[in-house]
Amino acid sequence: MNKKRKGVLRALAVCSAAVMMMASSGCAKGGPGGPGGRGPGGAQQGGKIAVITKQQLSFWDDVKKGAEDACSELGYELIYTVADGDNDYVSQVAAINDAIKKDARAIVIAPNGTTELNEAFEKAEEKGIKIININSLADYDGVISLISSSETDGGGVAARSAVKALAANKYDFTKGVKVGIIGHTASTAEKRIEGFADVFTQQAAFKALQAGGMQDMGAAGDAAQQGGDQAQQGGAAQQGGAGGAAGSDDAMGAIIVSLRKNIVEGERCAKRDDAKAQAKKLLGTDGNGINVMFGTTTNTTLGICDAVEELGLAGKIVVVGFNSDEQELAFIRKGVLNGVVVQNPYIMGYVGVRYAKKVLDGTNVPNRLDTGATFVNADNLNDPFIQLLLYPDSY
Amino acid sequence: MAKDKNKAKSKSMSSGVYIFAALLLAVIYIINTLLVESIYSNNSKMSTRTSQSMNCLNRINSELSEINMDTLGIAAGIKTDMAVITDDTNRRYANIKDAENTFRNIQDVTPDAMRRFDYAMSIVETYKKRLDSLDTGVVESGDYIEMGYILKQDIYPLQISASEMLTSTIDVMSVKIASMMKQNAIKTYLLMSMMMIVAILGEIAIWIFAKRSKKARLELDERERSLAEVDAKLKATRQKATDLAEMNVLTGMKNRYALDNEISGRLESERFNIAVFDLDNFRSINDTYGYDFGDEYLVAVSDKLKEEFSSVAEIYNITGNEFCFVFNKSISESQAMGIVQNIHRVMTSPFEVLNLNVQLPCSGAVYHYLPGDCLNVNSLLVKLDTAMRNAKMNGGNMVNTVMNM
Repeated sequence: MNKKRKGVLRALAVCSAAVMMMASSGCAKGGPGGPGGRGPGGAQQGGKIAVITKQQLSFWDDVKKGAEDACSELGYELIYTVADGDNDYVSQVAAINDAIKKDARAIVIAPNGTTELNEAFEKAEEKGIKIININSLADYDGVISLISSSETDGGGVAARSAVKALAANKYDFTKGVKVGIIGHTASTAEKRIEGFADVFTQQAAFKALQAGGMQDMGAAGDAAQQGGDQAQQGGAAQQGGAGGAAGSDDAMGAIIVSLRKNIVEGERCAKRDDAKAQAKKLLGTDGNGINVMFGTTTNTTLGICDAVEELGLAGKIVVVGFNSDEQELAFIRKGVLNGVVVQNPYIMGYVGVRYAKKVLDGTNVPNRLDTGATFVNADNLNDPFIQLLLYPDSY
Repeated sequence: MAKDKNKAKSKSMSSGVYIFAALLLAVIYIINTLLVESIYSNNSKMSTRTSQSMNCLNRINSELSEINMDTLGIAAGIKTDMAVITDDTNRRYANIKDAENTFRNIQDVTPDAMRRFDYAMSIVETYKKRLDSLDTGVVESGDYIEMGYILKQDIYPLQISASEMLTSTIDVMSVKIASMMKQNAIKTYLLMSMMMIVAILGEIAIWIFAKRSKKARLELDERERSLAEVDAKLKATRQKATDLAEMNVLTGMKNRYALDNEISGRLESERFNIAVFDLDNFRSINDTYGYDFGDEYLVAVSDKLKEEFSSVAEIYNITGNEFCFVFNKSISESQAMGIVQNIHRVMTSPFEVLNLNVQLPCSGAVYHYLPGDCLNVNSLLVKLDTAMRNAKMNGGNMVNTVMNM
C-alpha cells in the first residue's frame, strides 16, 4: 500500500517539477527589456489631457487636429474646449474647472488673458494638473512650457516678405516706403506690428543704402502725414545717402527713423468689415501713396484685401497678412494678396500635448519652443510643406 | 489465477496513469514552449526593429542638428567658406536620406509612426530647400542682419519642428511598442496561467484516478481476504467432518475407519505390535446401571488409557467397549508384551463412576505383526478378535497372543 502511495506522490512530484519548468521557461523568456532601455511605463499611463483654445477659427481647428493626433498616437483622451473669442477668459475658466472635474492630468491652453486665469490655474495645480501654454503665455509661475510661434518673428517674416516683394517689383527704396497697418484687438497684434516695423525698416533701410541712400526723405515724411521734422529727416537721409557707404550705422539709423515715420496704422479692429473700413480710410481712393499694407490677423488681412480690391489697387500695393483662411488663399491666387504669414498651429497642438505627456512622464521639457512662421505666397502655395501647414489633416 | 489477473490489471492501470500523466505534461510543455518561444521571438524582432528605427531617427536628428550648427556658424560670421559648408551640408543630407531609406525599409512600422515620420521628413525637405535657396551672396555681402533673420525666422524653427516630429516619431513608436510589449506580457502570463491550470487540473485528475485505483485495489484485497476466510472455514468444516467420521463420539478416540486408513498402507511392508482389549461382561453394566452409566464408565476407562498409554501407542475405540492399541515403531515385542500387561491391569482396575466403584475384567489379544501377514485390516482384526474370543471362552480376564502362521 505504502509502495503505491509513494508512486502517486512521485507522479505528483513529477507534475510539479514539470509545471515549475514551464513556469521558469516562461518567466525566463517572457520579459525581454524594453527597446533601447527606453522605459515604456509612462507611455502607457494614459489619462485625459484638456486642450483649451481661443476662438472658433481655422487656426484653432488646426491646433485641435494636432492635439487630437498627439492624444491618439500617444495614448491619451482629449478634452477639447474652444472659447468664444480671444478675450473670452470666462469660458476658459469654466473649461479649466471642467478639466479639474474630469480628472484631466494636464491642461494645454492658449490663454485668453495674462492673469485672468490664474485662480483657475491654482486650483488645477493643487490637483496636480500640469499646465502648458500654447500660442501665448499667461503670467502665471506654474506654466511649465510655452509652445508658440514668435509673434515678433511672425511680423518680421511678413516684413521681409514685403521688402522682397517690393524688390521683386524693382521698387526704388531710395524713394522711401509708406506702410499701412491694420491691427487686431488681441495682445498678439502689438508684437506682430512691432516685429514687422523693426524688420521692415531695417530691411528697407538696407536696400535703400545699397541703392545709394534715400532720395527724398521729406517727401516720404509728408506722405506719411506724421508731421515729423521733415528737414531733420531729409538731412539724415541725405547724410546717409551722401555717405554712400552701406553699413554706416548713422545713415542706417536715420533711414530707419524716417521709414518708421512712414508707417501708419489704422484703428485696431476684430471684424473684417471694420478692417476694410479702416483700410479704406488709410488708402483713400488712390492708395494715398501707400506701398505696403499689413494685416495682423485673418479678419484684418481680409478687410485690407476687400479694400484694395474694391479700390482697384490690386498689384499696385504689396499686401501681406497673417494666417491661412481659405478666403485669404483665394486672394493670393487672385493676386490681391501677396502672401500671408502662416504659423504652425497643428504642431502647436501636437507638441503641446506631447510636452504635457513628457511632463507627466517626469521628463524635462524646454520652457519655450518656437514653432516658427512661414510666408505663403503664390509661388510656394503648392509646395508639399506649405500644403502640410495649410491642410494638416489631408495627409 | 483470477487474483493474479486482477493484480496485473490493476498494475497496468496504474502504469497507464503515469504514462498518461507523462504524455500530458510533455504536450503541455511543448505547447507552452512553442507559444512562449513565439512571443519571445516577436518581442525580439520588435526590439531589433525598434532599435533600428531609433538609430535612424536619432541619426537624422543628429545630422540635422549638425547642419543647423553650420548655419549658426555662418550667421555668427565664424564660417564663411560656403563651398566647404555646402559640401558638408550635402554630405550630411545624404546621410539623412540614407537613414530615411533604412527607416522606410524597416518592416511593421505602425501607420501612426510612419505618418509622424513623413511629417518630419516633409519639414526636413523644406529645410534643405531653404538652405539650397539661400543666396550665398548674402553671406558674401556680409549682411549679417539678413543672415540673422534667415537663421532665426526661416531655418531654426524648421529644424526645431523637424526635430520635434522626429522625436515624436520615437515617442509614438515607444507607445505602440510598450502597448505591444504589454499585450505580449499579458499573453505570456495568460498562457502561463492557462498552462498552470491545465497542469494542476491534470495533477488533480491523476490524483483522483490514482485514488480511485487505490480504492479498487483495497476492495479487491478485501474480497480476497473474505474469500480466504470462507476457504479456511470450509477447510475447518471439512476437517471436522473427517474427524467426526474417524472418531468415536463418546470417548473421543479414533474409530475403526481411522484405524483402517492409518494402517492399511503398513500391512504390506511393516512389522508392528498391535493389541485389542474388550471389557468382559460389559453388557451387565448396561443392564444393571443403564446405558448412561455404561457410557460414563467407558469414558472413564478411555480417559485412563489415553492418560497412561497414548505416549507408547495409538489408541482406537473400534467398537463399543473394544480398544485397539497400535504400538509405536520403537516399541519392541517384549516391551509390547509388558505394556499389554499394564493395559490389562489398568482396564481391570476399579473406576469410580457416578460415585460408584465399578471393576470389570477384560480380555485382550496381542499380535506381533509381520509384513504381509494380512491382506487387509479386516483380516488383521479378525485374527485379533478370534484370539481374544478364545481368551474369553477360556474364562476371560486374560490376554491371548495371535500366533503367526
